[in-house]
Amino acid sequence: MTLPSESTPPPGDAHPIGFWGEAWRQYRKRKLALGALYFVGWLILVAILAPAIAGTKPIVCRYKGHWYFPATAYWNPAWENPVFYADRFRKIYPRNLKDKDPESWAVFPLVYQDPNRRVREGEWPGQPENPTGIDGVPNRWNWFGTNQAGVDVFAQMVHGTKTALLVGFVSMGIAGLIGITVGALAGYLGGVADLLLSRFMEVVMCIPTLVLILALIAILERPTIWHMMAIIGCTGWTTIARLTRAEFLRLREADFVTAAAALGVGRLRIMLRYILPNALAPILVPITFGIASAILIESGLSFLGFGAPPPNPSWGALLNSGRSNLQLWWLVFFPGTAIFLAVLAYNLIGEGLQDATDPKLREAAK
Amino acid sequence: MLTYLLRRCLIGGVTLLLISFVVYGLVRNMPGTPLTVQMGETDPSRRLNPADIERMRKSYGLDKPWPIAYVQWLGRLAQLDLGRSISRKQPVSRLIAERIGATLILSLVSLSLAYLLSIPWGLIATVRSGRLDERCISTALYVLYSFPTYVAALFLQIVFAVRLGWLPLFGMTSDNYASLSFGGKAYDVLLHALMPITCFTYTSLAYYSRFIRANLQEVIRQDYIRTARAKGVHPVVVIMHHAFRNTLIPLVTMIGLTLPGLLGGSVILEQIFTWPGMGRLFFESIGERDYPTIMGLTLMFSVLTLAGQLLADVLYAAVDPRVSYS
Repeated sequence: MTLPSESTPPPGDAHPIGFWGEAWRQYRKRKLALGALYFVGWLILVAILAPAIAGTKPIVCRYKGHWYFPATAYWNPAWENPVFYADRFRKIYPRNLKDKDPESWAVFPLVYQDPNRRVREGEWPGQPENPTGIDGVPNRWNWFGTNQAGVDVFAQMVHGTKTALLVGFVSMGIAGLIGITVGALAGYLGGVADLLLSRFMEVVMCIPTLVLILALIAILERPTIWHMMAIIGCTGWTTIARLTRAEFLRLREADFVTAAAALGVGRLRIMLRYILPNALAPILVPITFGIASAILIESGLSFLGFGAPPPNPSWGALLNSGRSNLQLWWLVFFPGTAIFLAVLAYNLIGEGLQDATDPKLREAAK
Repeated sequence: MLTYLLRRCLIGGVTLLLISFVVYGLVRNMPGTPLTVQMGETDPSRRLNPADIERMRKSYGLDKPWPIAYVQWLGRLAQLDLGRSISRKQPVSRLIAERIGATLILSLVSLSLAYLLSIPWGLIATVRSGRLDERCISTALYVLYSFPTYVAALFLQIVFAVRLGWLPLFGMTSDNYASLSFGGKAYDVLLHALMPITCFTYTSLAYYSRFIRANLQEVIRQDYIRTARAKGVHPVVVIMHHAFRNTLIPLVTMIGLTLPGLLGGSVILEQIFTWPGMGRLFFESIGERDYPTIMGLTLMFSVLTLAGQLLADVLYAAVDPRVSYS
């Protein structure tokens, strides 16, 4: 992330490390913001390694002379090798591996629990059947308890991390793309284009988000998690567009833009290579806050019962299942805390980014 | 100023037309109609026969393509008629009037609480800036700001209603509400409102106090504050008279922006506490595909949002003599 040299105002003498280098230096000074960044990194790690943390399929196993990686089926069900269907494993590996091939060996995930089904008696040596309902309090085998149907909450939360992170990144990626395009066009072209695009922004901003989202979800026959992300992205770009427009309005008048235009640089090139890199820092801040609100919207929708369909474990869906019986406090406490921490982390990162990239605030901090 | 207002109102009118058109198209294209959704809920013996459905479709204007129905809706709106709710057999305006009180109880109380608490706290935080107590409370407020209200609502329900049993779990009134005296009624509603008000208040409290503090901190770095201090003005007077008065400008503009939230309620919170307010009405009407009610509420929210923005801009010009729109 460096500025293209042609768009930097004459470098003078003060900042040999560049704008983003300086911003990172400033960001690192903020302990909380840095901690939040590490936390999000840790969440990404958990999301990627989810099948190795909690699952009932071996990470790696040697069976009848071949190597298999059944745990990858949690990423994509199609990756589960058909040999296990043919040999009638019925998703239960530990017992069947030994029965059908005494020579076989396998490395299992840290926690033998499945996010989609209840673990039964005798699946894993010494592990009892998952309790259901009010008996599912957190215990040795179910760290975060179990839900009404006996499915482990810890496993669902570990696998739901992917949903929460993806929703944030993908929907804000879409929102950023739309918002920057609309805002840049409105700000740079001005005149009629600005008037029309600004009205468009206002219309999207004023339509109650819930109507927009619920109507779009209802129109789709079978909404998946990807549809949800697209819809959240398509409704959440207005703040980004407004800020981009303001930045482009400001920078349009800057000397280096006038100079570039005088040299005969094309409009598109001026927008992309000259103005955008200089406007990026203020735009990144609402995008970060947007990730937090996208996570909130997704879990809020799941909470209202309009979330992703069942095979996708999601924190919001867990919270919703806890709502029907508040005696099962662990169904509310753990996912609720997870949503809170993720939102807090993104807000802290956004705040840190704002402080680190805004020269006015930077002066004040000294 | 007058031409500015006129121009803004005209643009606002066009925006409203666009919004209502888009929303009308969206809700009419959702699968299911008010009649089929209702039918699915009732038992098969009471199912309407096709002739009745056809008659009802005609009487509610559901047999026409939606752009034509939209024009008809606009025509009635011009006569200040929001139409009749299909699923509740009542005029939409009366439905709104019935529900708005419940939402106002929550939003007015929590807004006043938020202002009453955040202004003093913003002032104290500026004076004691950087001290341990200030940093602790500021951090706590920041953390609260990120705390999702629906998670907080569930936590409160678990602790105060399920575990301790001090407060009623949901609803606005108890079953024996009608038999209570006036004082008893007020106390009953207060008990029911306590948890929702807490949830409504804490986020705005966190937001406003951060806002006030940020503005104050910018103001006290100004030269005239240094001048006032240098000439020996009492520190309290500097903060209250010189600094705080100037932070009122952004604060006043924010009142305009709270307008839609004041009357719109919150869908999720009212849903959790089964509070019979506007948010819940809105959510129910979407589920019932009750087109007139959805449109009436959308129109109300949009008018409030646009009016709030206009109010903010006008107030801005009113309190800050440097800003003028003529």
